Amino acid sequence: MFLRMVRGALFRQKGKMLMIAFTILLGASLATSMLNVMLDVGDKVNQELKAYGANITVVPKENSVIDDIYELEGENADEIKSAYLKEDELGKIKTIFWAFNIVDFAPFIDTTVNLNGSEVKLVGSWYNHHLSLPTGEELDTGVTSLRSWWDITDGEWADEQKDTNGVMVGTLLAQTQGIKAGDTITVSTKNATKNLKVVGIFDCGSDEDEQLYTTLDNAQELSNTDGLLSSIEVSALTTPDNELARKAAKDPSSLSIADYETWYCTAYASSICYQIQEVITDSVASPVRQVAESEGAIMEKTQLLMILITILSLVGSALGISNLVTASVMERSNELGLLKAIGAKDGAISALVLTEIMITALFGGAAGYFVGYGFAQIIGQTVFGSAIDMKPLVIPIVAVLIVVVTLFGSIPAIRTLLRMKPAEVLHGR
Amino acid sequence: MKKRRMFFRMITASLIRRRSRMFVALLAIAVGATILSGLTTIYYDVPKQMGEQFRNYGANMIFVASADSDGLTTESVDEALSYIKNDQIVGVAPYRYETVTVNEQPVIVAGTDLSGAQKTSPYWYITGEWPSAGGQVLVGKETADLLSVKVGDTIKMTYSAEALENPDQPAETDRSQNEDAVNMTFMVAGTLDTGGSEENYIFMSLEDVASLTGESSKLDVAELSVSATQEELNGYVEKISSSVSDVTPRLVKRVTQSETTVLSKLQSLVLLVTIVVLLLMMICVATTMMAVVTERRKEIGLRKSLGASNKSIVYEFMGEGVLLGAVGGLLGSILGFVFAQAVSVNVFNSTITFRPLLVPITILASMVVTGAACLIPVRNATEVDPALVLKGE
Amino acid sequence: MSLLELKNVSKIYGPLKALDDISLKVEEGEWVAIMGPSGSGKSTMMNIISCLDKPSLGEVLLDGVDIAKESSKKLTEIRRDKIGLIFQQFHLVNYLTAVENVMVAQYYHSMPDEQEALEALERVGLKDRAKHLPSQLSGGEQQRVCIARALINHPEIILADEPTGNLDEANENIVLDLFQQLHDEGTTLIVVTHDPEVGEVAQRTVILNHGKIDREIINENFGKKKQEEQSNEA
Repeated sequence: MFLRMVRGALFRQKGKMLMIAFTILLGASLATSMLNVMLDVGDKVNQELKAYGANITVVPKENSVIDDIYELEGENADEIKSAYLKEDELGKIKTIFWAFNIVDFAPFIDTTVNLNGSEVKLVGSWYNHHLSLPTGEELDTGVTSLRSWWDITDGEWADEQKDTNGVMVGTLLAQTQGIKAGDTITVSTKNATKNLKVVGIFDCGSDEDEQLYTTLDNAQELSNTDGLLSSIEVSALTTPDNELARKAAKDPSSLSIADYETWYCTAYASSICYQIQEVITDSVASPVRQVAESEGAIMEKTQLLMILITILSLVGSALGISNLVTASVMERSNELGLLKAIGAKDGAISALVLTEIMITALFGGAAGYFVGYGFAQIIGQTVFGSAIDMKPLVIPIVAVLIVVVTLFGSIPAIRTLLRMKPAEVLHGR
Repeated sequence: MKKRRMFFRMITASLIRRRSRMFVALLAIAVGATILSGLTTIYYDVPKQMGEQFRNYGANMIFVASADSDGLTTESVDEALSYIKNDQIVGVAPYRYETVTVNEQPVIVAGTDLSGAQKTSPYWYITGEWPSAGGQVLVGKETADLLSVKVGDTIKMTYSAEALENPDQPAETDRSQNEDAVNMTFMVAGTLDTGGSEENYIFMSLEDVASLTGESSKLDVAELSVSATQEELNGYVEKISSSVSDVTPRLVKRVTQSETTVLSKLQSLVLLVTIVVLLLMMICVATTMMAVVTERRKEIGLRKSLGASNKSIVYEFMGEGVLLGAVGGLLGSILGFVFAQAVSVNVFNSTITFRPLLVPITILASMVVTGAACLIPVRNATEVDPALVLKGE
Repeated sequence: MSLLELKNVSKIYGPLKALDDISLKVEEGEWVAIMGPSGSGKSTMMNIISCLDKPSLGEVLLDGVDIAKESSKKLTEIRRDKIGLIFQQFHLVNYLTAVENVMVAQYYHSMPDEQEALEALERVGLKDRAKHLPSQLSGGEQQRVCIARALINHPEIILADEPTGNLDEANENIVLDLFQQLHDEGTTLIVVTHDPEVGEVAQRTVILNHGKIDREIINENFGKKKQEEQSNEA
């Protein structure tokens, strides 16, 4: 009989129950989409922040200082050959524990060349290098993505797949030397002389504006450093630093074993650096603070902002649902009064109402989850151009939320109704 | 006019004497309005607040000497700065680079306004302390390793104008005996870790560099951190390069370009989230209002049997809804501001400006939503035969 | 011309004939009771007379106007101007005070006038309860507020649907006395009831059965009760 009554209420009051289900659907979809967006926003923003370029640089152990301070040039290169990284070790970067978090990386070799009589810094790197990794992963990487902020004022980005003899010229250098896109320039060192075709002129507002960028091979040939690199820039998705990460960055060996495990298995910039150092011989990997720190700050702020907005919308949907449930239970005072009059116990009435509402909530909540999924994907696609990762964690959260909210929404109304005397209810006072 | 008074008397009686039901409706509207005003405030505030976070990336504009000028000076930098709105300047750090020798090794010292540098390069990680008085220096990590100095140590620097003219010459042993040479001792207040080329320099105040080298107003470059949009920055660049002949302003594309990309994404994220939340909340408010009105079908039937036209019933219920919407909207705009303020304080550690325009907009929106939400069920109720409504339990 | 005339009125709900070819005349100032068992068509007739419903067939002439042909908007106006309704379940607006409930009827009719509304309440003996909400009034008091509300616009006909159905005897008598007063003042009264006591006090009783007029009784004792009372008092 109980079930029959529940069924009766559900099917014969279709309109009312649909409205409750609909509101619960809205609440559930709001909760689902917001929670999913919130949980994924860190990764998404992290991806976006890759626009700032590499957050880790890898340099050879010994020479980084020497090169800058003594301004050593080609002639001394032979003597300090040990202070280079090895090109054939590059692929190992993609084999570390956090390999999956490494979005981009590119090798760099720089040398000083003679261009029309003046000394100019020439940097060799990848433009849009296609990598087939031993892990089976395919990756297109190079300056095109690691220097995404370059403003190409003339010509276009160099394409190393098509033309290996291309060179890109910094805007200041191009101005002083009168170089335009399409020109051919001759650069020489004591090792070699090469004719390079100017593909594009770039403007970036830093000292790179006075440099030349060409392919790795060209630069290695010019500087006689075949198979050697002066630095590697790595762009990795990282977790913002905390106390542990700071402590570890100073000296990983100072950590307890448990702390070390935690640190090693978290994508802190410092642990990724540590892991890179493990695979690249004689290297020092260090986070680029300008990028790493700011990334952390912005991600933290964005996440916190999203958490607060999510809380607000959760509170909003909770109130919305409980409001409607209250309103619709109140509305049934007549019917419930009647049940009481014909001898239903308080418990029986409460059970009846709650069962009805819970069944409605179940359907509403389930449908809401999928609608929320849709909303989350709309947000993901529109804002970030990629799908939002649906966390399974969201399902129990939303489920608990709906149950608790529906319960809390119906309890006060049921209590008021139970307190009413059936006679009064039936006489419509 | 008596009629209008009765109209309001009925509406207010309904609102006041049906307290618990109206409270339910009011709560729903207030929550909706809170979300509307709160999220809109945040949406408008995000670029500003996030923009400030992006200043963590450091300088986004630099001043260098124009090709045809005699070099950058503090005066020309100040002149150029006067073209930028004062409240948009987060920090200015003028730099002057000189080569000195320490223990016969050439080292580059950078003279700067240290408090300015702290603002333009918030990502600098200092072991020890920022120099707080003259005679103190900040040593880049690499240089500190090279010179093997620690925080608290002293460094003796030698500056020679002659050495400067021949920077490529290997250090000569007799340089310290050079008559022009200036010797000064500095205390290492802190070491600097940036992961970039700054680690190779020694930073000190401009005054110290001046006393080391003699010249006082010469600068090599000035770094600026300006909290402005890309267009504003472009405008400043144009204005300064045409008005101040000695200064060539340049944008640090890495920072400005990327900031525009990321910031616009973030803003559209908040916008979209706001739209989704608002849309759902509005429907939520509407369904609650519908439930509240549907409940009163009987009353509508009664009014009809008393000779009320459909129009006047619709007006009364709309009036009630609109009044409720107005009160809820007012409440919501206050709560929304409180929420936005709380978010701002918690997330960005700064307060937000109150947007008075948002109050009438919130109230109006709540009134429209509740009014429209009332309209549908009232219309339905008026179409039903009053006899059926009155007879049916 | 009769104030109200039903000519061959039928109301058909699907296969069911709620009213079957009914003809009835009510003169101005008459007090008519309509009686019959449940399902005899009382309420349907009441709804049609009160312009809440239209007949399927036939004419309903109120003041010479056939309300069966009018639009529902026009019906609303006729109801507002010419008919005062009293319900079994009272149907007061539960958040308005007694006097405000009376004023609602004025409001829809013409102009609300609190003074006049209070006078109407005084007539039904509720002046001191004017500021009470329906929930603070007894059943009888609520029904008296309804009567005051029905009277306020000086309707041509007062239609009461089981006015005493929810009342005890004492309140029933109060209500019937009020009806008597109204009748004495010349108001046309149509009372639908299944209570013989209420039926008896009317001038004429129409008894319905299965949608047809079973019989009509002219109440011979009409007015006698009053006379008795008067003689008792004297």
